[in-house]
Amino acid sequence: MAMGVQDQYEPVAEIGIGAYGTVFKARDLQSGKFVALKNVRVQSNENGLPLSTVREVALLKRLENFDHPNIVRLMDVCTTTRTERETKVTLVFEHVDQDLRAYLDKTPPPGLPAEAIKDMMRQFLSGLEFLHANCIVHRDLKPENILVTSSGQVKLADFGLARIYSCQMALTPLVVTLWYRAPEVLLQSTYGSPVDMWSVGCIFAEMFRRKPLFCGNSEADQLGKIFDLIGLPSEEDWPLDVSLPRCAFAARLPQPVEKFVPEIELPGAQLLLEMLTFNPYKRVSAFQALHREYFQDKRAGDG
Amino acid sequence: MDQAGLRSRADQLTTAAAQGDLEAVRRLLDSGADPNAANEFGRTPIQVMMLGSPRMAELLLQRGADPNRPDPSTGSLPVHDAARVGFLDTLRVLRRGGAHLDRTDRWGRLPLDLARESEQSHVINYLQALVG
Repeated sequence: MAMGVQDQYEPVAEIGIGAYGTVFKARDLQSGKFVALKNVRVQSNENGLPLSTVREVALLKRLENFDHPNIVRLMDVCTTTRTERETKVTLVFEHVDQDLRAYLDKTPPPGLPAEAIKDMMRQFLSGLEFLHANCIVHRDLKPENILVTSSGQVKLADFGLARIYSCQMALTPLVVTLWYRAPEVLLQSTYGSPVDMWSVGCIFAEMFRRKPLFCGNSEADQLGKIFDLIGLPSEEDWPLDVSLPRCAFAARLPQPVEKFVPEIELPGAQLLLEMLTFNPYKRVSAFQALHREYFQDKRAGDG
Repeated sequence: MDQAGLRSRADQLTTAAAQGDLEAVRRLLDSGADPNAANEFGRTPIQVMMLGSPRMAELLLQRGADPNRPDPSTGSLPVHDAARVGFLDTLRVLRRGGAHLDRTDRWGRLPLDLARESEQSHVINYLQALVG
């Protein structure tokens, strides 16, 4: 390569500050195209980068070999030593200039056709199933990091820095936007890939509603809004050792999904409920979801 | 003080435009932010806006954003970027807002050339029809 990564990519705007570092929209000066630059600062020592970072980057590069259509491309990785103790890792991702929020915003009333929602959900779940199969939990799925190309191709972004999946890993709280956060995250219980499926359920509902499903303003308020739909979970499903006890919430019964998500047909409503299952161990997985009736093509038998 | 408080209004406005955050952009413009001010990287809001949001293009143009300012490094106009990635809706809004379609970027490419390179058939048809 003629230019170093630092020279080849020129930031044009800051587009996000995460727990991990800063994200920029940038220009690739060789092609003129926009890219997304993610800078992560990591503590280094005399042996260089921590092994965990090296492993994460290696995993992301390995994923690239599959060229999955529903995740953004990782184009380049570079490291710059800033000081003796700190190294900057820059990940260069494909930049898709439309997120699901903007896509839903410009859909004229009465909203997306049912078939379009199904197509997007199939792509969304394919991308997520691929990440989960490679032991990556996204942990921050929201309309802002589900990208849609001008031809309607769905691509997941911002998964790059998720830690390698481990069910027992105590993950730092406050990683998922409140509205799409799974109950076990809100309760700070243990969690793994099912947290993403909860977010998928919220986003699935939002595609029909064109507004978020549960808009809580605190952890407890968010849980209350969730229980208004799914009902108060049973004592046996409530996780042990969490600060918020079940008795902190008023008893209430599950409501019909159609009350919250009008226009959803039965197989879709059934799948949505499987996603919005309180107990993460009983929640549908991405792989299972793709094989549910909702995604089966009925035209084949109809003649 | 929070992080946003330390950033200039030009930086905040370009960030909001790039994120496609219509509400934030409207709020900043209402409170007097300049729609053509360059940010810390020398770019204006319309140069970095989320290209898939025609409403963002519309809002910025309504408030006086100049759609014909070339990118300082690549010479591209927003119409080049919109044409390349196939956002015909945004391209139409830009044109209605006075964007020129006959300018070339640093490599001598027109928006139509970029649409052809990336096989954006809707954009190609639209631009060819304009040429007649």
